[in-house]
Amino acid sequence: MAVKYDLNEREVWDGNFAASQALRQAQVDVVVAYPITPSTPIVENYGAYVANGYIDGEFVMVESEHAAMSGCIGASAAGGRVSTATSSQGFALMVEVLYQASGMRLPIVLNVVNRALASPLNVRGDHADMYLGRDSGWIQFGAFNAQEAYDLALCAFKVGENHDVRLPVMVHQDGFITSHTAQNCYPLTDEAAYNFIGDFVPVDDLLDFSRPVTYGAQTEEDWHFEHKAKQHKALMDSRSVIDDVFEEFEKLTGRKYNRVESYDMEDADVVIVGLGTTVETARVAAKQLREEGIKAGVVAIRCFRPFPFDLVREALEGAKAVAVTDRSAPGGAMGAFFNEVAAALYSTDTRPLVTNFIYGLGGRDFSIDEAKRIFREQQAHADAGHITTDIQQFSGLRGPHLGYFQTKRG
Amino acid sequence: MQDQNLRAGSNRGEKELGGELVGWDEVTQGIILTSFDGDASGIAHMKAEERNYSGFNSYTASVAAWRVRKPVFNIDVCIDCQNCWVWCPDSSIISRDKQMLGIDYDHCKGCEVCVEVCPTNPKSLLMFGENEDLETALSQWPEKKKKEK
Amino acid sequence: MDTSKRKEAKMAITSIKNLKEFSTNNDRFEGAHTLCPGCAHSMIVRELMNCTDDNLVISSNTGCLEVSTAVYPFTSWDTSWIHIGFENAATSVTAAQVMHQVRKKKGTLKDSDAPVKFVAFGGDGSTFDIGFQWLSGAMERGHDFTYICLDNENYANTGGQRSSATPIGATTSTAQAGTHSYGKKEKKKDIVSIMAAHGSPYVAQLAPNKWKSMAKGFQKALETEGPCFINTVSPCCTEWKFDPKDTINITDLATDTLMFPIYEIIDSHELNILYRPKNLLKVEDYLGAQGRYKHLFKPENKHVIEQIQDGIDKNWEMLQRREEARI
Repeated sequence: MAVKYDLNEREVWDGNFAASQALRQAQVDVVVAYPITPSTPIVENYGAYVANGYIDGEFVMVESEHAAMSGCIGASAAGGRVSTATSSQGFALMVEVLYQASGMRLPIVLNVVNRALASPLNVRGDHADMYLGRDSGWIQFGAFNAQEAYDLALCAFKVGENHDVRLPVMVHQDGFITSHTAQNCYPLTDEAAYNFIGDFVPVDDLLDFSRPVTYGAQTEEDWHFEHKAKQHKALMDSRSVIDDVFEEFEKLTGRKYNRVESYDMEDADVVIVGLGTTVETARVAAKQLREEGIKAGVVAIRCFRPFPFDLVREALEGAKAVAVTDRSAPGGAMGAFFNEVAAALYSTDTRPLVTNFIYGLGGRDFSIDEAKRIFREQQAHADAGHITTDIQQFSGLRGPHLGYFQTKRG
Repeated sequence: MQDQNLRAGSNRGEKELGGELVGWDEVTQGIILTSFDGDASGIAHMKAEERNYSGFNSYTASVAAWRVRKPVFNIDVCIDCQNCWVWCPDSSIISRDKQMLGIDYDHCKGCEVCVEVCPTNPKSLLMFGENEDLETALSQWPEKKKKEK
Repeated sequence: MDTSKRKEAKMAITSIKNLKEFSTNNDRFEGAHTLCPGCAHSMIVRELMNCTDDNLVISSNTGCLEVSTAVYPFTSWDTSWIHIGFENAATSVTAAQVMHQVRKKKGTLKDSDAPVKFVAFGGDGSTFDIGFQWLSGAMERGHDFTYICLDNENYANTGGQRSSATPIGATTSTAQAGTHSYGKKEKKKDIVSIMAAHGSPYVAQLAPNKWKSMAKGFQKALETEGPCFINTVSPCCTEWKFDPKDTINITDLATDTLMFPIYEIIDSHELNILYRPKNLLKVEDYLGAQGRYKHLFKPENKHVIEQIQDGIDKNWEMLQRREEARI
């Protein structure tokens, strides 16, 4: 039996420690893991729990991240609760297996501590790895601080394991900025956390010998499309389950999560759309600008897969100018979130002015002042009635201005 | 002469490979395939004809169309050595209680391995044209080969 | 022979006293798969599944076996089976084995006492090359499972490209014999020694023509606790270029020329030769029976045949010496 771990009502945890505590409380059956900066402490902490008797399950340290996710699939198909953590290069290495996990409809929880992708090699926080996995078929949550890294990990198990969902779930947090920054966290008790998630109930259990199953069959041109469509539908249908789980979590903790978070949006003219720790920075900037009379607000896409097309529209259609910030090297195009948000806004009557900022790559700090500068620029667009700058700009970059494409509207 | 439907489950070989094309709403979740219907505990102790194969089991499919020639089994010459049984790549040699009974023509691809490994003289398995009927084939069975001096 | 590290079998072993006894087993690998006619993979899989009555959890790497036995909407497997990708059969089945341990301890299994064995299958492509790391990791971690390599010495599923299991002198589509080449120049990896060096309690090289030593070897591997590895020669009529009916004949030539010696290594240091040909054949007999070596019989390539024979002779000498020295 696992040794009990006494938690205080308020703890001081960084994002990594918070995530590892959530895994402990979820009573994960098998963690198959490989270390990579900055997610390493999640598995190290978990290893410490194992070594000191706090875990009833097994902890397997494999030889690569690809093997980690492969092991998660094998263990999950064998009918138990499974989880792991990774970042950046490790995430990239396991990308092939991510698609396989979701195609097999296995409710694995992956904690992604977001870090830039090489080359050049960088260990700091940016969203390049997150962006790489967008189409992998996983439900994806963004945590913006340590509390959320803990809360959303618990929610992830509950959502993924729901028999109407049966999909793997990622919980993202900013590398170093969240993962290594200690903050106040208010955890649930072990009992409350486990009861919230509930027991794992297997589906298509490899270890049910009365019902042998074949996992991972091949589908050619006469079957593949139907399978992928069914998978897409499952992802889309998970939205209502996610909403239910968030509601239940609020009853338990008083903390309410929404698939799209809106801050000061009731009357906002100018908006920053962001993810990760950028959200809090933008919120502080917005509050300061409000004192100057600028009606600034912030929108964060908390659950960006399945993409909340309708909720994004709802949140933003009343605004005049929206800056969508992408913390990932765009590789020759507009930022991915800009594309997704702009596509949603295209089907509105109001069609706010939307611009794109590439920022914070490789852990480059995104300051409150920078956020205010961006808000002011949005105000200039709003006043002019059209975009007055390039549509895509790099923010916080040393050197001459870098931007692309001008609007044809107005 | 063996029964063409020798020791068959009720649904052996009834389908063509590929199956009936259904819509996205009817394909299985996660592409999972179940091998049997109902409780399959102790399947290792059950002969094929006793099992409750699911429609997803390839047992219910046929590869007979692969053949242009087929093996014919002559029970009068056979010594039940089981060579053909152990080396058939298609689980198509029907052997029960150490006795060779014949070929599963739903699953046999006509590879001729069974003929090659048959040790009797004349062989107990020989290849004939796919459309040759068994009685005719058996009536044409060769005599014992004499050793060359 | 030190058997202290091998726990007594709790496995439901099937009798392999003789082939008649063995034939009373009920196949758990069904027909109407789409493997080539005459494919040795299927013979090997059937032997594995017939050598025990225990429940089996089987994984396969991408390859001929996987691609031909589980194409929606059909499966040829009567046991639980999982395929993820090309590299990771060893990882998936050992992780399933770990989950089994956890669920047994926690009491969440449907039938807690049901015996089960965990087996991974991979072709030479996935075993020697792309899945090498995954296999090595699983062996190093000491999981209780058996890995069976179906060695047809090429990437057969994708049309016969070279792998590091392709022997010297064979032509493959990516190391072709032509006017300026005699085919593969690199030596075949000695996978059995590599796996033994991981400290595996039981490794072996077996062949389907010697069905009894194969079945016995499989049984030993299944009942030995820890990570066991078996390389099996699986002659491929399609890529080795011989008539499908000759699969067992070719395997006989492989074992009687000692191109594929059959042996086992217990606890990394106790080597036992399991087959000694009564009539040792020259390697030409084996090479000449396959289209993939046809070009070696040109006068300018004669030296390659000599090189191959030399390699076989040296290897056989080494095996005999190790067996004698009990190391």
